[in-house]
Amino acid sequence: MTAMQWFYSFLKKYRNRIIIGLVVATITCTLAIVNPYIAGIIVDDVIRGGNREILPKLVVIMLVATLIRTVARYWFTISFEKVSQGVLFSMRDYVYRKFLGQDFSFYNKNRTGDLMSRQTGDMEAIRHFVAWVIYNVYESALLFSIALTMIFVADFRLALGMVVILPITAWVTMKQLKSVKPAFHNIRQHFSSLNTLVQENVSGNRVVKAFAKEDYEIEKFDVENDGYRQAELDAAKIWRKYVPIFEFLSNVLTVVLYLVGGFMVINNHMSMGKLVTVSGYLWMLNNPLRMAGWLANDYQRFVTSVEKIYSTINIEPSIKDPDNAIAKKRFNGDIVFSHVSYRVEEEEILKDINFHVKPGQTVGIIGATGSGKSTLMNLLCRFYDVTEGEIKVDGVNVKKLDLFSLRDNIGMAMQDVFLFSDTIEGNIAYGRPDCSFEQVMEAAKVANAHDFILQMPDGYDTIIGERGVGLSGGQKQRISLARALLKNPSIIILDDTTSAVDMETETLIQNELNSINANHTVFIIAHRISSIKEADQILVVDEGRIVESGNHEELLAKKGYYHTVFHHQYGDFDQIKTGLKEFNYIRNSKTEETSYSGGHTSIRDWGNEIG
Amino acid sequence: MKLARNKYDIDETLQSEFNFSHLKRLGSYIKPYRKDIFITILLLTISSGLGMLAPRILMVIMDDYIPNGNIKAIAVVSILLLLIYFIVSVIMKMKITLTARMGQNIIHQIRSDIFGHLQKLPFSYYDDKPHGKIQVRVVNYVNSLSDLLSNGIVNTVTELFSLVFIVAFMLSINVRLTLVCLTGLPLLMAVIFTIKKKQRVAWQRMSNKQSNLNAYIAESINGIRVTQSFTREQENIEIFNTLSNDYRSAWMRAVKLNFLLWPAINNISTWTMAAVLFLGITWLDGGLEGITIGVLVAMTGYIGRFWQPITTMANFYNSLLNAVSYLERIFETIDEPVLVKDAPDAIEMPPIVGEVKFKDVTFSYEDDVPVLNGISFTAKVGDTIAIVGPTGAGKTTIINLISRFYNLDSGELTIDGIDINKVKIASLRKQMGVMLQDSFIFSGTIMDNIRYGNMEATDEQVIEAAKTVRAHDFIVNLENGYETEVNERGTRLSVGQRQLISFARALLADPKILILDEATSSIDTETEILLQEGLSRLLKGRTSFIIAHRLSTIKNSTCIMYVDKGLIQEMGNHEELLAKKGYYYELYMSQYKFLEKS
Repeated sequence: MTAMQWFYSFLKKYRNRIIIGLVVATITCTLAIVNPYIAGIIVDDVIRGGNREILPKLVVIMLVATLIRTVARYWFTISFEKVSQGVLFSMRDYVYRKFLGQDFSFYNKNRTGDLMSRQTGDMEAIRHFVAWVIYNVYESALLFSIALTMIFVADFRLALGMVVILPITAWVTMKQLKSVKPAFHNIRQHFSSLNTLVQENVSGNRVVKAFAKEDYEIEKFDVENDGYRQAELDAAKIWRKYVPIFEFLSNVLTVVLYLVGGFMVINNHMSMGKLVTVSGYLWMLNNPLRMAGWLANDYQRFVTSVEKIYSTINIEPSIKDPDNAIAKKRFNGDIVFSHVSYRVEEEEILKDINFHVKPGQTVGIIGATGSGKSTLMNLLCRFYDVTEGEIKVDGVNVKKLDLFSLRDNIGMAMQDVFLFSDTIEGNIAYGRPDCSFEQVMEAAKVANAHDFILQMPDGYDTIIGERGVGLSGGQKQRISLARALLKNPSIIILDDTTSAVDMETETLIQNELNSINANHTVFIIAHRISSIKEADQILVVDEGRIVESGNHEELLAKKGYYHTVFHHQYGDFDQIKTGLKEFNYIRNSKTEETSYSGGHTSIRDWGNEIG
Repeated sequence: MKLARNKYDIDETLQSEFNFSHLKRLGSYIKPYRKDIFITILLLTISSGLGMLAPRILMVIMDDYIPNGNIKAIAVVSILLLLIYFIVSVIMKMKITLTARMGQNIIHQIRSDIFGHLQKLPFSYYDDKPHGKIQVRVVNYVNSLSDLLSNGIVNTVTELFSLVFIVAFMLSINVRLTLVCLTGLPLLMAVIFTIKKKQRVAWQRMSNKQSNLNAYIAESINGIRVTQSFTREQENIEIFNTLSNDYRSAWMRAVKLNFLLWPAINNISTWTMAAVLFLGITWLDGGLEGITIGVLVAMTGYIGRFWQPITTMANFYNSLLNAVSYLERIFETIDEPVLVKDAPDAIEMPPIVGEVKFKDVTFSYEDDVPVLNGISFTAKVGDTIAIVGPTGAGKTTIINLISRFYNLDSGELTIDGIDINKVKIASLRKQMGVMLQDSFIFSGTIMDNIRYGNMEATDEQVIEAAKTVRAHDFIVNLENGYETEVNERGTRLSVGQRQLISFARALLADPKILILDEATSSIDTETEILLQEGLSRLLKGRTSFIIAHRLSTIKNSTCIMYVDKGLIQEMGNHEELLAKKGYYYELYMSQYKFLEKS
């Protein structure tokens, strides 16, 4: 399918409407000829000729014709507006669905500002075409043909003389269409860049301010702003070359008429009356010709936008539902990775990953930054496809599963927390928009978010800013956790979900989680040992491989990476054991003042040691 | 906590109603081009003068040359006509050049102003509303003004002139009939005023719905990962279509009103024509003085021309009403008060040594909700101050005040004894390295992203900074190393990697004061230890502030502050605080508690 065919598939639905619209346009066009004609009769017959009694009749015809013409024209212009809005509505919907269906790789390649331009500026060019250009082209062509036909009827030789101009017009139009296209392409390009720059500047406003880079941003912006202006001016340079040519050509017609017509009348090849009649039709020839340049412009602007949109969305996502996809309401959560490798171009992200998780188990994943932990989970959700090997959920390769049912069974709290500008309730209920408020509250309680939410000015109805600005990192993480839990999924993925939460809260969350964990398979990616220590299996990932696996004790015994990390985080555990006992003791008997003094010394002792 | 007030499905309220001053302001943008406008109008007047000459010539051909068979004269006059039309075309070309330049220059200026002003606006402005709504003002709204401000104005002014000429002509022919013709005008005015208010509301509504839709599109694209993982596609499509449909209805409503003007003018013009004919003929037959056949014929000819400029002006008025709904949003943004700005007598911040002093600082984002209730402390040169405490205690707020992202409510904040309100903000921030919770990555190469901290830095310096924060190794492993293109927000990098890059960026700025707000939360312990080693070498003698939840990160700080309820509850070094057995002690112990279980 070409871009134009794609566009036509939206217009098709309105074919009848458009045809009716054009029929009405034909009527109004014809009526438009009535008034000047009647005016002519009035001047000649009524005023000059003194034929007074026909005046009321003529005036009534004139008034009625105007009324019909304007009402009909109003109706069909609105009708075209409706068609354009209908086309645009379906197109936006189509493009939006396409966007939603694209895989992560698509979003890694396309900038937000560019994608937004497709849905805004480009749509506008299409709207203008459907709402305005279509019938204007038709009206122009119609008027032109009517006039030409009438001239033919009046005197075909004269008409032939005027037709000579047509090939020239056609040639100029073609030339203009061709040369203006790259210019519009260029404008769209600059529009996108400008859009992207502004979009990033707005999203990154905190960084801009933190680095006091406002002036630099303005410089960058000036470049784009200038570029856009230049692109527009370059395009103007092209049409200022052509539009006056059309103007000139349309006027040449007048000269041709009087020159050729004059000769013919003088040589008695034509009557004077006919020359007068034909000159009355001139405006119907002139105006369409004058419009031609502008219409060619609008057409090309439209074509460019359609092509831009189409080329953006006409990319099959590499990740989509397989044929005969297997859908399941609820998975058990049995997960197998066997010989899984994943590469992006030359870069090896994961290499020969093997593990098996039984339903209800908890898996901890730990490893250096960029070692591939999150990728592992992204592969499980099938946000990317494995390069080699396979991932099975309940014994079925994820590539054979219905995407929706797979992802619906996974509750993921992502590392990069994204919240929407919506109420807190709306954010938590994101995955289950129809759930009850009690369920939202329940999830928030498990995520230990309930208390701080209640402290907000409007509680659960508090609107939070885009990306959750206004909330601290820990608060965002907990809302994101609640959001994942509310789905009650069979597989829960917590990707670095408690890194910005203080220890105490983390412990509370973990206790809550443990109580609901029984029938969920849970993955916890974390840097803190405390987050994953209780896991049934702990995977240590390094440079894309699983280098160690086992439970906490087994891994400690291995004295490898895990042991080192543990040592770094809790190396002083033995030393503070006494302190801890003390701590618990204090906690348990806060009223007993006496216990303080004893603890005091011991704490100070180990404190000195590690200091 | 500053909270948003607007989301995708809430129409923005307008702070200031549109009034004449907006138009005056628009005028100030047009003013620099009055010479261009003047030239264009002059050219157009010449052009239409020449255009009026043509019918005269044609009349001579018809009345004189043809009946007299003067072929030679026809040929000569034809050449003259061609010459006239050639000049008309050349003028048209000049007009296109002038108006395009003018229109583009004006919107270029408006866009510059709005963008420039946006740079001055504080965090709170951005936190308030979906970003798509801000963006659409700078790009789409401004664009939609271009035609109005170039062709619209020039054509309208030109038509105004021709209207004056036509009316003058008509008056010179016959005052009475002219007055009859002019009765159409109040009628038209009545129509315009009847629908004007509705039109205004309709266009405002349209721009609101458009803005909502745009905001939602932007958010949908940014949040695509969440949407897909929560399989929310269907729901979002429904929301999108609701918004899209709202926009469509709002558009249709506005357009239906707008299009009313054209039939109104056409019918009114036909009525006046009828009136002129009837009365004219009655008067003619009644033998009224001054009414002759010639006068009537000329009058009927002029009536058509009389309404032509009025139609153009009405169209301009229509587009103006539409544009105003954009314009008021644009001006609203440009008028948004800059709360945090340089004092008139602000001085350049001298090179910072590093003593930061808070004295009874109070602060609130919203009037009745205090966030900081009197913070006082002094960070000596070279100190590392760690801030801990429960979420929402005000930790981030404290450090945001140091960079003067917000103004204090009361109290005093000095750096090296200088009140930060008395220095130029840029000179202050340039000397600080701030790493925010949310590490934003711009689209571009990794090299450019790190260099954002210091534009003058050489490649070597960038790499040095990356090495210090242990980002070098993973960067060189990417397909194009430092030249690898990353997406905005760096979606192809892990959060930890992004943190490392923004860390490098902060270091490259060679900050005198370093502020780390949960800067290393997603970085593994190993890397963090290496990073800290590098950092401590680099930051020797520089003051730094750290917010972190992994207490191992902050244990070695010179001073740890436990903040809760907007107050410093405890302050001291690790040992002192443990010895105190207060909040910090509890916090610290809680991280070992889980080990106790086994």
